[in-house]
Amino acid sequence: MTAPTSTTAPAPPRPHHITVRGQEFPVVLPNKRDPRLKLSAIVISIHVLGQTLLDFKVSIAQILITMAVCGLIEGVITFRNTRVLAWPASGVLTGSSIALILRASGTVHGDYWSLNGIQFFVLAGVVSLLSKHLIRPTGRHLFNPSNIGIVWCLLVVGPNHVFAQYLWWGPSILGQVLAYAVIVFGAFWVLRAVKMIPMALSFMITFAVLIGLFAIGGREFIAIWHEGGPIRGIEYWVNVALSAEVLVFVFFMISDPQTAAKAPKARVVYGAAVAAVAAALVYFQQTEFGIKVSILSSLTVVTAAVPLLESAVRRWVQRGEVADIPESPRSPRRRDSVVAALRRPAVAAALIIAVAAPIDTVLLHDNKQVILIERGQVGKANAQ
Amino acid sequence: MTHTTLSGPAASNAQRLLSVVGVLAVVASGAVGGNLLGSRERLWGSESPVARPAAGSRDASTDVASPTPTVPPSQAQTVLRSQPWWRGVTKLEGNGSTSAAPFTVADDSLQWRARWTCETGRLLVRVPNQTRPVVDAACPGASTGYSVRKGAVGVAITADGPWSMVIDQQVDVPLREPPLPVMTEPGTRTILTGSLYRIDQVGTGTINVYRLADGRTALRLDEFFVTANIDLELRFSPLEAPRSTQEYMNSPSVWAAPLDVTTGSLNFIIPPEVDPSRYRSVVVWCPIIDSAYAAATLKQP
Repeated sequence: MTAPTSTTAPAPPRPHHITVRGQEFPVVLPNKRDPRLKLSAIVISIHVLGQTLLDFKVSIAQILITMAVCGLIEGVITFRNTRVLAWPASGVLTGSSIALILRASGTVHGDYWSLNGIQFFVLAGVVSLLSKHLIRPTGRHLFNPSNIGIVWCLLVVGPNHVFAQYLWWGPSILGQVLAYAVIVFGAFWVLRAVKMIPMALSFMITFAVLIGLFAIGGREFIAIWHEGGPIRGIEYWVNVALSAEVLVFVFFMISDPQTAAKAPKARVVYGAAVAAVAAALVYFQQTEFGIKVSILSSLTVVTAAVPLLESAVRRWVQRGEVADIPESPRSPRRRDSVVAALRRPAVAAALIIAVAAPIDTVLLHDNKQVILIERGQVGKANAQ
Repeated sequence: MTHTTLSGPAASNAQRLLSVVGVLAVVASGAVGGNLLGSRERLWGSESPVARPAAGSRDASTDVASPTPTVPPSQAQTVLRSQPWWRGVTKLEGNGSTSAAPFTVADDSLQWRARWTCETGRLLVRVPNQTRPVVDAACPGASTGYSVRKGAVGVAITADGPWSMVIDQQVDVPLREPPLPVMTEPGTRTILTGSLYRIDQVGTGTINVYRLADGRTALRLDEFFVTANIDLELRFSPLEAPRSTQEYMNSPSVWAAPLDVTTGSLNFIIPPEVDPSRYRSVVVWCPIIDSAYAAATLKQP
């Protein structure tokens, strides 16, 4: 999710300290001007709607434990790196975002203190925070933490145990109206501050057009919540392109300034690229599970390529502004530097993730288990 | 300030080891995420069982007897499962002690049972390599004995008088019955038809209600699936399209047929006292938990 500041470069220590065995440690408490609080407020508002009107199949215990685990990991790592006891705002936000999207099969809405599948929430949180602090090929984290944790969980643990929140947030009309209101209001509130509105529009327009073409072309999908056969036509377009799930993804996940492109023009290209990759992966899918994983893993792929994307856009802009700048030749020295970069474990790990995520996602398209689950024919009363 | 990352060539041995482990974990995640060689399902389990042939009839002995199977074997493979149901194997009868000819219990069956009766003395039924007898009872009497032995099963019967046993095996594969011959006879017509929709559970498939040439009525489910449970039943409801258990329970309904099999294509003769044309829907009802699983609105074809 969008986290405008990084805990690895904390704000200057405030005059709060605690003393342990004669040693003083600076304490950084939550700051009401911290923009992450805005996003946290939106995510928590959606959680409240999910628990009250939207029938989200996630328990309060699952949400709190995921937030606590992520916060604890973030706090410990920050302390180890900086010797500062900082409020782990990013970690808590990551945990809250994971619990907003990830679901454990068999969890029943209204079972507020259920610990069903809690291990998968914890795993997603651990993967998120490890990726954030270990995979830093450019000195800052490459992947959106909650995104990679959720994608890892959906692909590696699989549809037997976990799934992402439904694309359709019904049946409560009031709940849906309030959810869309919170999301759209929150989008302007958060995205304007981080100058991400053009990026979000770039995604929405590209994605809506491509999904519309798929709908016209006869693509369809099955979903466990949908009666009467596959979803196709205008229903396909509405359920995929305008889903509240997708809006949360575009407004509050791909807009993370830490992992998105930095330059304004690069951000527009970045938004369109995420949409194009998402649509390309969605094209293969015939289940809602596959579509949700496709949308989420598109961000995993594109964030891995953000340094390359920024560089390409920068060169393109420079060439446009100064027409006579010669194209730089692919020198042997440059090839050597690429080879040297690939030998770095963080770069290798990022590359493997960027390649494996879309391949694994495409392989879901004919997975019998997913199809059986989406048809509701596995014999479990609450398979998803 | 230190920061642990997947580091480069200048790293310490511990960091190098961490890097190798990290990269291997990423590679392993990629392989499992793609379900390479079924690794994800081996690691976490699978909801889709092994594909097996569906049953073509309620009596396994007809599988061998039928020269032309109704469904080609390649089409009969399915990963769907039904609530376990009893499929007929054979009937044994005799007078006094004997060793009956072996009967075959399918390897994918869950268990088999012997529904027995006897008239005098005592009845003892044993299968090889099983300490506990299948039946050990005083006669006259009638009850049921169970065993889990698979394959060719020969039973040794010690009896003092006449006895009989009906052998059934319990399976969970779908039942794909062909339509009853009376459903295709001249004079038979389809009077109602509908498609199942879910209420409290998943229900899919189509329903056809026939007025048979002899005046009886029959019901056929095609490509049917409902979430499995024991003692489900089909009931006719006067409601056009019940959408909840409460709505269904508020109107009187009538029993139409037991639903011992929950997946496949099934035939039922409707009790003569029930006139389907007076009702507007069929409901899959679970009397144990008072839940309307699924329903189908009935319309004239």
